[in-house]
Amino acid sequence: MKILVAEDDDLMLKMLEFRLKKDGHEVIVTHDGREAMDKIDQLMPDVVITDIMMPYFSGLEIIGAVKTKYPGIMPVIIISGMGQESVVLEAFQLGADDFITKPFSPNELSVRVKRFEKSFFT
Amino acid sequence: MISSPLFVLASLVVSLHTLGLVILIFTNLILLILAFMLFFMLWKGTHEKNHDRYRLISGLLIRRAVFYDDQIDPETGIPGTKKATRLMVNKVFRKLFTEELISAKKNIAGMAAENLKYLYHQLKLESFALKKLNSAHWHTKAKAIQELTLMDMRELKDDLFVYTNDKNEYVRMEAQVAVVQFNGFEGLRFLDSITYAISEWQQIKLLHKLSNLPPAHIDISGWLKSPNTSVVVFALKLARNYHGFEMHDVILTCLDHPDPQVRLQAIHCLGEIYNDETSVHLISRFWRDDVRHQLAIIKALQNIGSEKDNIFLSTLLGNDDYDLKLNAARALASSGLKGFALLVEYNDADLVLNDIITQVRGELAA
Repeated sequence: MKILVAEDDDLMLKMLEFRLKKDGHEVIVTHDGREAMDKIDQLMPDVVITDIMMPYFSGLEIIGAVKTKYPGIMPVIIISGMGQESVVLEAFQLGADDFITKPFSPNELSVRVKRFEKSFFT
Repeated sequence: MISSPLFVLASLVVSLHTLGLVILIFTNLILLILAFMLFFMLWKGTHEKNHDRYRLISGLLIRRAVFYDDQIDPETGIPGTKKATRLMVNKVFRKLFTEELISAKKNIAGMAAENLKYLYHQLKLESFALKKLNSAHWHTKAKAIQELTLMDMRELKDDLFVYTNDKNEYVRMEAQVAVVQFNGFEGLRFLDSITYAISEWQQIKLLHKLSNLPPAHIDISGWLKSPNTSVVVFALKLARNYHGFEMHDVILTCLDHPDPQVRLQAIHCLGEIYNDETSVHLISRFWRDDVRHQLAIIKALQNIGSEKDNIFLSTLLGNDDYDLKLNAARALASSGLKGFALLVEYNDADLVLNDIITQVRGELAA
């Protein structure tokens, strides 16, 4: 699958890229919300993984934009340190398909992304 | 007259000489500045190149640890760390690497996090942190304690315990959080001997840390009698949060504590930890304290009050304070049918009270 990752922390971004490439995915990395929005429109990834707190556009705004422009065809997974109930609820209300709170296990991320792989091919 | 052209000539020569000197000085100054700028740019360039190289090495090492799936051999550890071990003597690399390692540890859980902890230990970074504990600067100490806590260096919990009563507030706070993280409820034994006050914020942090742990039986009776009033307040919060019903009688004694903050916290606590006599004790102390305490008592009575408290509560309906009236009305309404009937029947020309009664009826209906 083609996965777009939006994360402003360089170290985290590299780790996510490494893990996802190890699982055989094509990975598009972006460092902020604006770059993420642009690349989503240009490259049409199969899955979007995004942090919430980012420059220019937040992860929640990205969910809103993706679900409006590409309803039902582009799952969005949130990875965030903001695990408060209100934030999680808002993300799901906006249409997020999954929410992973930091600290998270890379193996867990791998398994969660695989779920969308299965539904992608069925 | 004859000397005058000579004088002019002489003056001219002197002026030219001075001018030349000035020009020379300025030229030298400019050359010096240019030389300094060149040197600085060269140094900066080298520094940035090194920094980029260190970041690359650091990132690779951390990723290797995070994604290392095999069982770690205690003799060899995580492979590929020889270069990093040699670089650890370099203060710049060590600082950068430690910061990135800590940042990664904060974001990663599970086996990957364990590997990061192992890497920290393998590169002996805790020894550098321990050295910083001897620093004269409080911020260096506090940062070192925070680092050891984040990297989960439990084996150093005894080394950190001594700092739970450090004279510096930030060092104390970090050490207290550390011992609670490492020892759970057992870590709270620093409350036995702490002489400094525990701030409200620190109490919140500690309670938050404890909330992630499974509940454990803790004996807080000693802390409720502590000469440190912040310890008493914190112990009351623990009693409330962990349903210390066996502490009820000791908590009652806190209603007579000389410190108003302790008395207030005791009232809040008794709103959760009570028996059928608790309301009597609260009401008997009602008029001794200020409005803040009175309000807290009435709010507690909303939860623990019964019909025997109705007469007292109905006397408050005529009070001048709006909040007291409103909460007394709520307490009456929640005490039972008789209390609600008393509220409804209360005959007074006070429009405010009528509005309050209407509001409370609405709250009950909702």
